[in-house]
Amino acid sequence: MTHTGRGERALALGLLALVAGPLLASAALALGAALDATAWAAWPAQPGALRALGLTLFTGLASTALAWWACAALLAQAVVRRRLDRLLRALPPLLATPHAALAIGLVFLLAPSGWLLRTVSPWLTGFDAPPPWPTTQDPWGLGLIAALVAKEIPFLLWCAATQLQRDDASRRWQAEHTLACTLGYHPVRAFWRVVWPPLAQRLRWPLLAVLAYGLTVVDMALVIGPASPPTLAVLAWQWLQDADPAIQAQGAAAGLALALVVGACAALVLAPRRPRRAVDGRRGPATMGWRPGATLLLGAYAAVLAALAVGSVSGVWAFPALWPQTWTLDAWRAVGASGATVGTTLWLAAGSAALALAWSVAWLECAPPRWDAALRPLIYLPLLLPAVLWVVGLYALGLRLRLEGTAGGLLLAHTLMALPYVLLTLSPAYQGFDPRCAALCASLGHGRWTLLWRVKWPLLRRALASAAAVGFAVSVAQYLPTLYLGAGRWSSVTTEAVTLAAGGQRSLTSAYAALQFALPVLGFALAAALGRPRRFRPETP
Amino acid sequence: MTLALDLQSLSVGDRPMLRGVTLRVAPGEILTVMGPSGCGKSSLLAVVAGTLAPPLRWTGTLTLDGTDLASLPTARRGVGLLLQDPLLFAHLSVAENLLFAVPPGPRAERHAAVDAALAEAGLAGCGERDPATLSGGQRARVALMRALLARPRALLLDEPFAALDAALRAQFRAFVFDHVRERGIPALLVTHDAADIADPVRVLRLPSAPDAPAHA
Repeated sequence: MTHTGRGERALALGLLALVAGPLLASAALALGAALDATAWAAWPAQPGALRALGLTLFTGLASTALAWWACAALLAQAVVRRRLDRLLRALPPLLATPHAALAIGLVFLLAPSGWLLRTVSPWLTGFDAPPPWPTTQDPWGLGLIAALVAKEIPFLLWCAATQLQRDDASRRWQAEHTLACTLGYHPVRAFWRVVWPPLAQRLRWPLLAVLAYGLTVVDMALVIGPASPPTLAVLAWQWLQDADPAIQAQGAAAGLALALVVGACAALVLAPRRPRRAVDGRRGPATMGWRPGATLLLGAYAAVLAALAVGSVSGVWAFPALWPQTWTLDAWRAVGASGATVGTTLWLAAGSAALALAWSVAWLECAPPRWDAALRPLIYLPLLLPAVLWVVGLYALGLRLRLEGTAGGLLLAHTLMALPYVLLTLSPAYQGFDPRCAALCASLGHGRWTLLWRVKWPLLRRALASAAAVGFAVSVAQYLPTLYLGAGRWSSVTTEAVTLAAGGQRSLTSAYAALQFALPVLGFALAAALGRPRRFRPETP
Repeated sequence: MTLALDLQSLSVGDRPMLRGVTLRVAPGEILTVMGPSGCGKSSLLAVVAGTLAPPLRWTGTLTLDGTDLASLPTARRGVGLLLQDPLLFAHLSVAENLLFAVPPGPRAERHAAVDAALAEAGLAGCGERDPATLSGGQRARVALMRALLARPRALLLDEPFAALDAALRAQFRAFVFDHVRERGIPALLVTHDAADIADPVRVLRLPSAPDAPAHA
């Protein structure tokens, strides 16, 4: 029952046209803007440009490698100790945290006047004033790496979990893991030998998304990344903001250079490789299991959230006081007064998540498997193209279609950004759905719609709700697309939070960042409620 | 209602799997299909059910009581399926799983049919239970009742006893055979176990080589 008919192919073609049209047009327009020989000669000669490129490579590669290792180590522990479900229960709020909110919270923790130093001052450090330490916006990008690692671990874990929870795969992997244990392998080593290699293969796209994001991030880098020079993505963004078209072309060219860097890394990540050491016969305990990792990660998020919550209601708060001397709700009143910003964020997120989910379900239902495999790179284009380059194309497309500054333009931009994430998180469960259920339904006389409405979608409701929540969270976190397509006429909690982070209004910045965190968390909470398995009435025969 | 299949060929892409298989199954009769692993037993059932998917292809004729089945989609063939895995839907209660199979009609009649099926399965009063809380034997009986509630004109049994222990297996086998004979529908049973053979003279042994014909 997996073969696709002519009608389904036609629908899949229509779906493809809906997405490929704007995607390819944006990409072509972005490339057109970036292919300027003068700009290509000029941008590397700019002061700090090559160091910015080096910083980009260092922060992007280091954060991805660390997040990948931490994810694998956490999974090894969770699988071996059969605590995967417990780990997953803690993930939604972590996953929902927007990048910018996390960065702002980390700045409030790690800055020289931040909470961490306050807890040990002055009794341990002797400091009565914040020391001149570069603990955030440090010239080496360490703060940015820490923020990226903390943000990407939950995403990788989530993607791994969606694979591990596939009915077909999970049974096989459990059996293979047990079999390896019966052959004398320590449970952790058995995980590395038989579960991780095929799982890692299936995580190549999420890994690439993490790498591409790490190499091209702007909002997080603006808040916590190095400043002089910044990373290349921030530098390109600054050039794109310039009124001089020649400098703007330089920004687009630098964006394309970033795309080439991502492309080179993608070739390495996606290249098929044979797992090494798989058959060396060593059976003893493996060292790569990270027991305190989950606690550390959860602790970091809790501290960030606490810093944002306290910061949002703080009045006067001189260093080195641990708690504010005065408390005020002024910041929250200001947030409440900007109802349009919150409203825009909500309808954009709900609309783009719903559209991305509808598209993904229709695609997974109708597209022939070969089309799906071949066209995934196109659908994932927004994940792989640097946001600075991507928004140039989207903005140019918006101008041509007269969508610039309109609700439709914003919705299109957010949907295109949410779509790859929704498809990525929904695919494993959807494609893992037992095809025998379809045959069984048909044998009971039911057609396709009955199968979908009464069996398949109810059984997949957890995956569907989670994918929608991911789409919602991705939309809430969008910075550059809102900035560009909104054309100054629309603002979201993310654009407000990032803008405020550059200023000195700690309480207002915290309030917006906390709200930016709260909205996706509410989305995930709603998804968890909708996706909860049905409880049956206990009854004795 | 006689089920008749004249299968000229069954192939995976260009590779032939079966050739020249003919079978006739009379009402209430259970034809046992046996053969080595990979010889095409389950694919033969998929031909009858209409669930054969590319790259598998077949040529030939398939009729039920003279009506051509081959041109009909699975949902309109009236051919029930019982698999090794009972595949009870996890989001539906036991009764709802059964109700899912009952054709549209007055509510009271549909519910009465479900209650009767539950009683026949020895599960009266268990309708509201979570299918996951049933034992293996109970799940298998519910799966059979669900297949029968759709009022199939033929029944396909794809190793439905394989997952049960010896005692339960014999019990459930008798339960299935009784119901098939009682309802007078033709049934095809795929099995590896000679103990499952319903009628020793009605066995179709599929060859391991595709060119050897088989008839029953």
